[in-house]
Amino acid sequence: MRGFGSTGLLGLALIVIAAAAPALAQGQRIGQIKTATGQAFVVRGDARLPAKIGDPVYERDVLETGAPGSTIGLTFTDNTVFSTGPETQVALSQFRFDSSNFKGEMLADVKKGSLSIVSGDITRATPGAMKIKTPTAILGVSGTTFAVKVY
Amino acid sequence: MYRLPLLVAALLALTGCPRQELYVVLPNADGRPGAGQITVMEGTTATVLNQPFAAAEARGGQSTGVPLDPTEARIVFNQAVAARPILPAHLRLYFVLGSDQLTPESTAAYRAVFDDIKRRPAYEVEVIGHTDTLGDVSYNQQLSLNRAAMIRASLTRDGVDPNAISIAGRGKLDLLVPTGDQVPEPQNRRVEITVR
Repeated sequence: MRGFGSTGLLGLALIVIAAAAPALAQGQRIGQIKTATGQAFVVRGDARLPAKIGDPVYERDVLETGAPGSTIGLTFTDNTVFSTGPETQVALSQFRFDSSNFKGEMLADVKKGSLSIVSGDITRATPGAMKIKTPTAILGVSGTTFAVKVY
Repeated sequence: MYRLPLLVAALLALTGCPRQELYVVLPNADGRPGAGQITVMEGTTATVLNQPFAAAEARGGQSTGVPLDPTEARIVFNQAVAARPILPAHLRLYFVLGSDQLTPESTAAYRAVFDDIKRRPAYEVEVIGHTDTLGDVSYNQQLSLNRAAMIRASLTRDGVDPNAISIAGRGKLDLLVPTGDQVPEPQNRRVEITVR
């Protein structure tokens, strides 16, 4: 009985570690998928997951869409809204936000494709605290609604 | 003497390059007045875009401001804009003095919060409770949290997923209407709700 009990305890410890591990590997939860059509994926580390409405999004995730008609829309915890067109790759490289004072910073890397943005509380509190990187430029964002295309 | 032809030649060479990137300010989607502003930084040059449909593009690795026909912007970004989620909504509900009971007006307005949540395919709800400055800090901290918790309980009872609701209380630290201490102010007795 005692041996079984300690195995159970070990098992529980392993489950706790397993539950904690993805959070460590994938960084903080920063948003949620709100729209997804066609070939829409979230790349998280080595995993390429179909993007589903309601799924959480984490810092360092990469949004990927395929053929025409494929799109992803998401909201961030600071109320920033992203939506992509097809054949797009956007890395959510950095996201920090303190909801008690709206301070934070955000960096997204548009590697290809199209991205439409409505900026939220981060830029409202600190104009310029959102940066969008492209292959040739960096955009400093003071607000609010704009779009970027990388051909 | 040689510079002007060289400049012209350089510009011709650039405009001959295919467009690599395009950045455009769009009309504010969130109803805020005016236009936003983005600054395109590339090496040491910075191009400020601060009008609806103000645009810049990169050709040959260099970015410059360009005129852009709104129709072209709409065509280029048609699918990305169409994929935009319903924008986050912000709502306030007000409370009776010293209690976690909504005022009659806000009891009626509560329905709008619920309706807004239900029209979203996936939702998150943030409820932040606040108080006026009557009473001490710890009393108001607890009261503000009770107000937020009451809203969460109502929403949950009405079928909203409790896991999608987060609550917090800010006591009397974050006044909507600035007042001195120990001042009853109906507009400060509130919850601020964000639905996204």
